[in-house]
Amino acid sequence: MNRMKSRNWLAAVLSVVSLVSAQAQTAPDALVKTVATDVTAVLKSDPAVLGNPAKLKDLIESKLVPNFNFARMTQLAMGRNWAKASPEQQTALTNEFRTLLVRTYSGALASFRNNTIDYRPLRMQPGENDVTVKTVVNQANGQGIPIDYSLEKSADGSWKAYDVIVAGVSLVTNYREEFNTVIRDQGVDALIKQLQGKSK
Amino acid sequence: MTKPTLAIATVACAIAFSGCASFRAAAPGDPLEPVNRGIYSFNNTFDHYLFKPIAKGYDAVVPVPVKTGVSNVFQNAADAQSLVSDALQLKGQKFGDDLGRVMINTTFGIGGIFDLATPMGIERGNEDLGQTLGYWGLGAGPYLVIPFLGPTSARDFAGRLAEGQYDPVSMVSSVRLRNSLMGARVVDTRVGLFPAEALMNQAALDRYTFLRSAYLQRRQSLVLDGKRPKED
Repeated sequence: MNRMKSRNWLAAVLSVVSLVSAQAQTAPDALVKTVATDVTAVLKSDPAVLGNPAKLKDLIESKLVPNFNFARMTQLAMGRNWAKASPEQQTALTNEFRTLLVRTYSGALASFRNNTIDYRPLRMQPGENDVTVKTVVNQANGQGIPIDYSLEKSADGSWKAYDVIVAGVSLVTNYREEFNTVIRDQGVDALIKQLQGKSK
Repeated sequence: MTKPTLAIATVACAIAFSGCASFRAAAPGDPLEPVNRGIYSFNNTFDHYLFKPIAKGYDAVVPVPVKTGVSNVFQNAADAQSLVSDALQLKGQKFGDDLGRVMINTTFGIGGIFDLATPMGIERGNEDLGQTLGYWGLGAGPYLVIPFLGPTSARDFAGRLAEGQYDPVSMVSSVRLRNSLMGARVVDTRVGLFPAEALMNQAALDRYTFLRSAYLQRRQSLVLDGKRPKED
């Protein structure tokens, strides 16, 4: 009887623990909120970070980068051109695109410092592995900028972002059209060079 | 009546130029790319030597409360124009919001200098005739870059020309004041573009394509009131 009880108790604890960790792993809206809250908290407590490129890069590398799927972003931005690139070109593209995105994001963060973020409720069907988390960044002038994050569940169960949509403008779509123009006019190697030039 | 003439001249130019310059495969939605690129670089030069220096000077010299007041006045005029498009799309909520905004800001906000409606939580409808045409099913048509005006589409440009007929600023009877207001509006708009311009310079590989993609996506999003089309 006693043993039964303790076993039940153990099972209950275990199920709660697994529920909590499953929650932490599966809720993409919670992930977006945690990351955004963490980053804005650091910027608020230590505004000097914004003036310090090395510290800012550290912050982005540790908080943001692990939650993005850069390989997927690069493939999406390349579209039909992805298959035309050699494996070496694909690796170079992914690395350079990642560097450019991180740099651009560092620049954009500076203007986010004093803004609050609203999170729209996420309607997610069970078993869904591709969702869009909607947020609104409230600016000082009262205008809100909608920022949506498209996330996909990866093989290990964690959610990773593959697109950011600012005021209806998708980052990936924008780059896909730019990549297309550069490849059309000058080829894949020229695109890699231009990405490198942008990140210098 | 000079605006339609300008439009006709632009289209005529576009057709004349596209014949000889279409040596590259055109991007979808941008059949006039070679001409558009030409006008884009003309606009850039013009901006570099005229608009931008003036806007920079204004931004540096004029105190923030004055700049905000000026922006608010033009915003209020735009809210009034938005009413027409709210009604044409039968969007009652937006019509009510814009009407409330214009009434509050014009009276208590002293001719729109103070935007009291936004802190009260009354959102801007932010509609225009281009969006109205899109709402009723008209596609954007070819992407266009208009001299001095910048990126637009055939649909949105038609909307802007028609909106010129009920632009509160153009209804000001004193010619001098009207011209000053129109000039000030250009400067105010240009100053408002500084942050986006900085981001574009940082992020864009090909600025023409960046701007085209951002413009067309943004307009599509406004037509759909922020809902995203399902991609396949």
